[in-house]
Amino acid sequence: MTIVIAVLLIVGLSFLFTVGLRSGVAVDDGRQASNPQQRPVLGGSDPETHALQRFHIRYYTMTLLFVAFEMEMMFMYPWAVVFVEEGPKALAEMGMFLAILSVGILYGWKEGIFEWE
Amino acid sequence: MGMNWIAKLAAKAPVPIFIARGNDAPDETDKLHLNPNLSIVDTPRAASILLVAGTIPHALTAHLHRLHDQLPHPRATIFWHSSPTDQLSSALGVTHGDDLGSFLLQTRAALLTGERASEADVLPDEPANVWRGVGPHGQGGKGMMGGTPYGRPMAMTDDDMRDGLKLDAYTADFGPFLTMLPSGMILKITLQGDLFQKVAVVSPPYEDARQGREIRTLLKLLGLPALANRLLIENAHCEAGFKRLVTLSGVRRAIPPDLGRTHDGSDVRSRFEHMLNDPSNPQNLHLMGLGLGDLLEGREWQEAMLILNSFDNTSLRKICANTPTDATDDMGDSSEQASGGHEGMDHSSHGGH
Repeated sequence: MTIVIAVLLIVGLSFLFTVGLRSGVAVDDGRQASNPQQRPVLGGSDPETHALQRFHIRYYTMTLLFVAFEMEMMFMYPWAVVFVEEGPKALAEMGMFLAILSVGILYGWKEGIFEWE
Repeated sequence: MGMNWIAKLAAKAPVPIFIARGNDAPDETDKLHLNPNLSIVDTPRAASILLVAGTIPHALTAHLHRLHDQLPHPRATIFWHSSPTDQLSSALGVTHGDDLGSFLLQTRAALLTGERASEADVLPDEPANVWRGVGPHGQGGKGMMGGTPYGRPMAMTDDDMRDGLKLDAYTADFGPFLTMLPSGMILKITLQGDLFQKVAVVSPPYEDARQGREIRTLLKLLGLPALANRLLIENAHCEAGFKRLVTLSGVRRAIPPDLGRTHDGSDVRSRFEHMLNDPSNPQNLHLMGLGLGDLLEGREWQEAMLILNSFDNTSLRKICANTPTDATDDMGDSSEQASGGHEGMDHSSHGGH
């Protein structure tokens, strides 16, 4: 019963939220931003090149490490639950999984991401 | 047209104002920060009233018009101590005797009730540059990006000063109405991310632009706008309470050491200290050919802004005179600005000798 009430509450609140948003938008008189309004603010100056540009994601080495270790842990918890039932089959599967993930760690090692700068 | 409930709600909030400073902006302009009914915002996108304080030089009127069009509707422009430009003829003028604070409140109320119509765009409603492709629908073109979308070239790779990775450099003019830059100053900056790669002066700051505004801009950049506004109160910098607050805020340590060193050894910290303790006497810095490039290139945006605002106006104009000006005049209206800039810089370099 409580689940039904919770679902009804969620649906009802989302409906109210949507109605609120729509009525808030309706207050706006529908004018679209004109072309001069859409220009980037540079304090009165105008840009000469597009703002679209390629950045270097300098934290990518941290991301690589995070994915390698975090993914490992994420799958090891449920694996640990079924390990006793499944036995050596589960061990072999996890071994393969870890082998693939460790390629990422080895690559990072080669790139020198474990050296503190 | 009556006010609906949401307009009534909006009328209770402080009036968001963006200030575009002219050459001789009156001293009271800064005091507007102390008015609780007004909120001085840092971007035209958040403002409903554009306040033009002082005379905008002829070379900068095109910039003012671009800025005007960036305000959202409903909007109004008020010229204070200056006369409206021809294109902004519907703008209001305020003369010296009027109470500006209440006038701003009335104007915003008139905008919200619909008594006063929102100002139309000055510039034509068309893309700043049109797409010039080769295909029948304007699509396509040469190169990796398929031509120059909307007439603006895509950013291309350039050497990075930090680690040599080749990444896109972004070049644009910044100013003259950017709140973190000294008013009237236009810089052509090439950025890689937030790193200053190249700086050229398009227009130096106004000759009498800032009366002690640097220190307040510095405090705001360091995240202490309340302390900055406190400085607007008469003799606030002499009060023991204010000095204690500055010490407690840890603002001195927030400025990186050895930032923006000049030849005589002063850095942003020491200049900040001087401005805080002795705001009426400008420091006589020995600049000796120091240009903006020496100070800003290789710096990140926040550091560069601290450096720029740590100089008093005279020194900054001298530094601008030592900086190579922007030579490429590909825009029609920028040749005028550049020549105006040259005149100003010649003048300041004479003053320096």
